[in-house]
Amino acid sequence: MLAIKFLIPEIFLSISIFSLLMIGVFIKNSFEIIYRLSLFVIILIILIILSGDSESIKIFSESFTIDRFSLYSKILILISTFFVLLMSKKYIVDIKNNKFEYPIIILLSILGMFIMVSSNDLILFYMGLELQSLALYILASIDRDNIKSSEAGVKYFVLSALSSGLLLYGCSLIYGFTGSTNFEEIANSKDFNVGTIFGMVFILVGLAFKVSAVPFHMWTPDVYQGSPTSVTSFFSVVPKAAGIAIFIKFMYLPFRDVLNQWQYILVFMSIASMILGAVAAIGQTNIKRLMAYSSIGHIGYAIAGIAAGTENGFKSTLIYISIYIVMNIGAFACILLMKRDGKYVEEIEELSGVSKNHPMMSFGLLIILFSLAGIPPLAGFFAKFYIFMAVIESEMYTLAIIGLVTTVLSAFYYIRIIKIMYFDEPKKPFEKFVDYKIHGPIVLSCVLLVSFFIYPSILNEIVSNISIF
Amino acid sequence: MEYAILFLPLVGAIFGYLAKYFGDLTSQLLTTFLVCVSAILSIVLFYNGIFHGTYGNYLIYQWIASGNFVVNWSINIDPLSSIMLVVVSVVSALVHIYSIGYMNHDPNKPRFMSYLSLFTFSMLVLVVSDNFLQLFFGWEGVGLCSYLLIGFWYKKDSANNAAIKAFIVNRVGDFGFAIGIFLIFMFFGTLNYNEVFQLVPEFSQEKINFLGFNSNLITLICLFLFVGAMGKSAQFFLHTWLPDAMEGPTPVSALIHAATMVTAGVFLVVRCSPIFEYSQVALNFVAIIGMLTAFFAASVAIVQNDIKRIIAYSTCSQLGYMFFAAGVGAYHVAIFHLFTHAFFKALLFLGSGSVIHSLNDEQDIRNMGGIWKQMPFTWIAMIVGTLALTGFPFLSGYYSKDAIIEFAYLKGTNIGYFAASIGIITALLTAIYSWRLILKTFHGKFNNEHLSKSEIHESGMVIIFPLAILILGSIFAGFLFKDFLIGHHYVDFWKDSILILQAFNHSHIPMWLLYTTPILVTLAIPLSYSLYIKNDKLLERIKIKNELVYKFLLNKWYFDELYNSIFVKPVKAIGSFFWKSGDIKTIDRFGPDGISKIVKIISKKATKFQTGYIYDYAFVMLIGLSLLLTIFIFYK
Amino acid sequence: MFFDFLLEYLSIAIFLFIALALSIGFIAVNFAFSPKNPDPEKLSAYECGFEAFDSARSEFDVRFYLVAILFIIFDLEIAFLFPWSVSLGNIGLLGFYSMMIFLFILTIGFIYEWKKGALEWE
Repeated sequence: MLAIKFLIPEIFLSISIFSLLMIGVFIKNSFEIIYRLSLFVIILIILIILSGDSESIKIFSESFTIDRFSLYSKILILISTFFVLLMSKKYIVDIKNNKFEYPIIILLSILGMFIMVSSNDLILFYMGLELQSLALYILASIDRDNIKSSEAGVKYFVLSALSSGLLLYGCSLIYGFTGSTNFEEIANSKDFNVGTIFGMVFILVGLAFKVSAVPFHMWTPDVYQGSPTSVTSFFSVVPKAAGIAIFIKFMYLPFRDVLNQWQYILVFMSIASMILGAVAAIGQTNIKRLMAYSSIGHIGYAIAGIAAGTENGFKSTLIYISIYIVMNIGAFACILLMKRDGKYVEEIEELSGVSKNHPMMSFGLLIILFSLAGIPPLAGFFAKFYIFMAVIESEMYTLAIIGLVTTVLSAFYYIRIIKIMYFDEPKKPFEKFVDYKIHGPIVLSCVLLVSFFIYPSILNEIVSNISIF
Repeated sequence: MEYAILFLPLVGAIFGYLAKYFGDLTSQLLTTFLVCVSAILSIVLFYNGIFHGTYGNYLIYQWIASGNFVVNWSINIDPLSSIMLVVVSVVSALVHIYSIGYMNHDPNKPRFMSYLSLFTFSMLVLVVSDNFLQLFFGWEGVGLCSYLLIGFWYKKDSANNAAIKAFIVNRVGDFGFAIGIFLIFMFFGTLNYNEVFQLVPEFSQEKINFLGFNSNLITLICLFLFVGAMGKSAQFFLHTWLPDAMEGPTPVSALIHAATMVTAGVFLVVRCSPIFEYSQVALNFVAIIGMLTAFFAASVAIVQNDIKRIIAYSTCSQLGYMFFAAGVGAYHVAIFHLFTHAFFKALLFLGSGSVIHSLNDEQDIRNMGGIWKQMPFTWIAMIVGTLALTGFPFLSGYYSKDAIIEFAYLKGTNIGYFAASIGIITALLTAIYSWRLILKTFHGKFNNEHLSKSEIHESGMVIIFPLAILILGSIFAGFLFKDFLIGHHYVDFWKDSILILQAFNHSHIPMWLLYTTPILVTLAIPLSYSLYIKNDKLLERIKIKNELVYKFLLNKWYFDELYNSIFVKPVKAIGSFFWKSGDIKTIDRFGPDGISKIVKIISKKATKFQTGYIYDYAFVMLIGLSLLLTIFIFYK
Repeated sequence: MFFDFLLEYLSIAIFLFIALALSIGFIAVNFAFSPKNPDPEKLSAYECGFEAFDSARSEFDVRFYLVAILFIIFDLEIAFLFPWSVSLGNIGLLGFYSMMIFLFILTIGFIYEWKKGALEWE
């Protein structure tokens, strides 16, 4: 029973979800209350996690791990959710999507992610994954009167079901050949035969789908574009963090001894993602779609770090994904400001000459875009720098070179947006409003990105304390 | 207090610029006030250092910590840095005050003041560093500010060109400096001064293979560091940018190109004395370059006609003095000269600025003359500055410059004797060109055609006040501080911030040497008077007779032309060859242009690939899965 | 011996026989006495109110779907409760509370859908 005390964040989260659901359904027009309470719950859980001790412990027959790695991931998930939820308030009210279920579904998906990143067992992992995915399907189609949103939801649901099937098949293969679902025991079963490896490949496919790595990315552009922007911003940030975390865990825990087997696959996915992310984004006209390709590219870099197969490799990936989150939150906060004549616009052209009318917003977006492109001394540069360091340490020069080339390619479309913002003919200004819930995250994100270089060690130090083994 | 000294100028730079929304005056007063506070604090710090020995290292925060490699942002207060702090912050404060008056017609005052403060901050970062990386940060910071300030009037082509020239020439030096730092890091594994200096003796015999030469490691490091110092301090071969840098506003010339930034090279050599002491070759090189520069610049200064350029060459020459002082191992004397030089050279620049200002931006001394009655105070200031510069007895320059010559002699080596004689000759040349400047500017006939003599008037109080302070400094700085800095007990003051391994051979200086320089310098006054005022016909005849020499000097030993034909033109030719046939025709066609075309095509394809149909997507996923399985099977 | 073995199945065989005879009997009686007025509507196959052979993409009331899903949820709950109740003796308090928590969560969901009006047909 003592084990329960290590589960306090999860239990608290579940109870909050139940209570919020009840409050929401019994009180009329309860969106406002639920929204505030959810933010409050998120902050509370952050505090609970931070105030607890960070010793490594495995509970429930070693199926559930609490260690620095899972705590770091959880904090990352919570903080990014907090900001995404904070800044999407105005948007969801504006598109009349202020249903009280919205924040609750987000909390539910967080619960799924919590279980997922803490799991040390295939069954628990799958349970968390599905809880998360189910919530995400609903989120994608939350604007159910909008045909695009519904389409996005259905697409995501069908394809995700397919990938879940593959993943589950992989799990069963693994179980069949090793006789255990526990990560440790899988790692310790010495006879890794073809069956196990096939199982691993199937699991990899499922994971790759969740983080949208090429060639399992096909859903990403459509879902990003179709979903309401607030949901897209959530999609581009939070599930990515959780997905990368569990990706790292799989590669470094159950499959740590077959590094030479999965390395090729990861290198392939990484290169393909980097190239596709860089190349396909160039032809996009919709900024959300562009962000989709951008995130595919970024996931490519993150996977490159994992593919390095070293301790520095996965640490660089953790740093990368943390900085990526900061950048994307800022970028989507800017997109949420693109409102003209009472309607939100998404075409890149609409940004034309925006610097004349909105100098501060465009300057913020400029910093974020430069950082996304990886231009020093912004944080995005350091993120890529650590990845390439790790990759080069593992003597994977081809991967590093392709990564550098695609960085240059992708800089093109980021800088093209800047060019449009600063040098093209101004259009009618966007609606002017000051909402600290949106402007706050932009300012915070810019400040973090700009000031990161002053003390880059801080993130390094936090991450260097993390180990999976 | 240490933190305040360092960061007040930075605060001034940021808020001074932002203060432009509250009017130019706010910004001027804010920056000036903050820098003045910083100056007063550094004087207090210096005083405490001398009398109470309150030195120490103050950590700002850890900058980089990667394994064993640790670099901190820190404030390292020791005798050397505290004296530099005084020089930098005091001159900077005076220049700030002066600029309020000097720039009163300029529309961009806040920007100017902000740059000045930023420069001061960078320079302070440079001098208080306790490691090579922070030093390099400050080094590049001052380089940047120098670039910005030389090109402050960016609408003038010549200012832009001069700024770029200064930047590029400095790049050559910085490249050497960076290599020096790399070498230090590579072999010592640390960049912290103390740690490096402690390791130096162990490495003194270490040989490394550099470009096929088997050379001594320490010598190599010193030479590369010195290349950096040469660039920044405008030494022979890399001096060409300094005269051109006079395109910037005069306060900038006084602050950056006379008193502070250009002395950073000297500071670097002195700071690294524990390394240089282990390499006689490098020291000799430093001494020779210093001598060459001192003589060369003085000879060129004699025939120049631009008032600021003359002083610029004079600066160059005096820096040469400092370097050969360091080269013969008299580091404390080098810094002493740096200290006094800062006062009188700033005085000369600011004085000439006052003249230029009064004559409506006229800089050619041939268009001046006979105005001493109109601006008596400026005249006095310039006279005092000149006397101090030439080393007239009992002014500050006398103590420091003669000390350099004496110590060179005391060294007792061939290089030392040679340096002493060059020092004496150069001192004479210095006297001649300095008096030429004074006589041509303030005496003789009034030669300006655009301006009537009666329109010329003395500058205002804000300009005069800094001059007055500097006059005091020029007169008394040498006398007051000589005992501390170079007296018999100089070790008490310097403690271990400089290292002198080899003792000086002679203990007594012959009487004739002591008197030679002052006598020569004093004789130079009537000599110049007769040459430039009384018998200017004689001068014309000398000029015509020795036209070759005159041309040679007037064109600054043809250095600009030489560099132009050796470096600039071939590089330009090679560049345009590569640009036109190499870049556009080959690389662009197959490289960026070609690739961008391919990328565009692929991008279109990739976009089309995204059909929007679920079954296509699912199909791609399954193909991907089988692809991965295939990869695995084939690689296994 | 083999006969003894078959003898054990005798009762089942009799049971099967009676069932068969009865059902055949009912159908035969029905067939003999029922009125017969066939028309096309009566002869066509019947499936939840839809045409049997038609495009599967036609619209139908989403409420069917809703009810079906709700049914599945509670169906699964029952399927889960059976093994639980059988093994309750072995799994102890932990097992008991686990199921209680599960039922609690299910109840929360049930209250939600009730309040949302998912159970009302109109």
